[in-house]
Amino acid sequence: MAGKISFPVGVLFSGSGSYAQPARQGFRGAMTAIAHINASRRFPFNLQAHHFDPAGEADRYASLCRQLIRERDVRHVVGCTTSWSRKEAIPVVEKLDALLWYPCVYEGFEVSENLIYVAACANQHLVPLLDYIAPRFGSRAMLVGANYIWGWENNRIARDILHRSGGEVLGERFVSIGDTDIDHLIDEVREKRPDFILNNLIGPSSYAFLRAYQALGEADDRFRPEKCPIISCNLYEGEITGLGHAAAGHFTVSCYFRTLQSPENDSFLKTLAALDPGAIVDAFYAQAFSAVVMIAEAIMRCGSDDADLVRGALRGQSVDTPLGAISVDRWTNHVELPAHIGRARADGSFEIVKRSHEAIAPDPFLTSTPLVRPLGRDEVRPELRVVK
Amino acid sequence: MSSVHVTPNFDGWRMLILHRPHRNVDALFAQCARIGAAAEQAWPTFPEARSAEEFDVLLIDADMGHDEQFPWRPGEAPLPLIALIGSEAPGRIAWTIAQGADAQLLKPIGSAGLYSALMVASYSFARRRALDRNVAALKERLARRQELAQATALLMLRKNCGANEAYQHLRLTAMTRRCSIEDVAAAIVEEFANHGLKNADNGR
Repeated sequence: MAGKISFPVGVLFSGSGSYAQPARQGFRGAMTAIAHINASRRFPFNLQAHHFDPAGEADRYASLCRQLIRERDVRHVVGCTTSWSRKEAIPVVEKLDALLWYPCVYEGFEVSENLIYVAACANQHLVPLLDYIAPRFGSRAMLVGANYIWGWENNRIARDILHRSGGEVLGERFVSIGDTDIDHLIDEVREKRPDFILNNLIGPSSYAFLRAYQALGEADDRFRPEKCPIISCNLYEGEITGLGHAAAGHFTVSCYFRTLQSPENDSFLKTLAALDPGAIVDAFYAQAFSAVVMIAEAIMRCGSDDADLVRGALRGQSVDTPLGAISVDRWTNHVELPAHIGRARADGSFEIVKRSHEAIAPDPFLTSTPLVRPLGRDEVRPELRVVK
Repeated sequence: MSSVHVTPNFDGWRMLILHRPHRNVDALFAQCARIGAAAEQAWPTFPEARSAEEFDVLLIDADMGHDEQFPWRPGEAPLPLIALIGSEAPGRIAWTIAQGADAQLLKPIGSAGLYSALMVASYSFARRRALDRNVAALKERLARRQELAQATALLMLRKNCGANEAYQHLRLTAMTRRCSIEDVAAAIVEEFANHGLKNADNGR
């Protein structure tokens, strides 16, 4: 590939720490996409990856991001998995005029001019998930979450929606990130007997909870997933593969599942069979991959990796990605995405029980999304609508 | 607005930014659009033809603002105020406090900050309004304490009863008439002033 010019791209994911599994997925998705771009004849340039590993320490994200921009001369950083680390990196990209491509679902209530959000915010994950679950299982919920902004805010939104829509929150518990001591949560579930459990735990806490809940279900039928499922907004193939029967039967909402049948997914999986044959592809992987595809496509459109030009080249002009054709919303820097509902199988894949045929417009501040939802069991369910 | 789990919604809110045209104002316009609010800019004064009721919130400029910009006295703004602060000179901050600013935003204005400022300003304004109403009601009741004492004394004389019984009579009358106890007291005192003790048989 001699003679091609090269643009540096920062990759900022942790290879260790309490949220390492999804972070490694993001890393792998981004690196594979860079290899894919460089192998493609479509692009008259190469992307050169510069990876730094914050090792799961939130305080290292800002300094490593600064180093990528100042020392490695990158204009684009793909990375961060948690909202905590993203908030650390925002001031750096804003000050140094770079773009951070954040490829993970998050709770919303943020729009930075220097971020491109390549994943769902709450109106694209939590809202359609509750819309699907409550009419089928009931709207008496137990909320559990990791003790940081993701858990707090997602639980708060769920509580707000349930209160306004005639549902009920029977209990709410938070667990420190990385904590696997969750017996008290199981005790509370057994006592309160909810219709479903909203799981906003992350990493090892989430795995421990699912395993302990499986044991509870074996002891008491009332807590089998058919009667009282655990529902999540960020538990994908990469994590359920290691959980086997503990995850089976529970629900996840996502813009991407590996089992989705679509031309773009078929071609994506075919590409990966050659480039990254061992990958357990999931939304974290596909979103990071898509972010890199968007960067390359935008650089080709405007002939530069300048942050303003790249952002401008994607606003209102779609790019074909594994997530479908997506464009960047000019007001929010988020993307329109579908919200599919999957039920986990013991083999680590998802059965798609509700396929969303239309993309949902991003509404990070929940200003145009009605929070009174038709959650009643007896009401006729309208199809998922595009929220404008 | 009091419950902490309610998601605030500023969709359709109208804001006036009293600031000279500037990049900071452009940044505020962009933030407004994201949260569904409509913004207008004006300078140097609150537009003469407009009324405060046309807006849900007013953004004022701590750096160049002065009392004469507004058609109300300092501290009497009839809507929530957000101060845009550039220079953190104590005198300028004191000016925003005197205006009754409910929240603040530091310049330069970037991509964020307006949403939280709006949330703080609207809650704080609503709380301030509620407190003002409570204080006014309490002040009125205090001011009418003398009438209440007079009416109690008149009833004690007329009915030849003790203070507790007289007060109880006032209270029951107020309940029957669905008015305040102070109103009943005022009526008794007024009747006495007009007709003397013999005819002061309110409540029978």
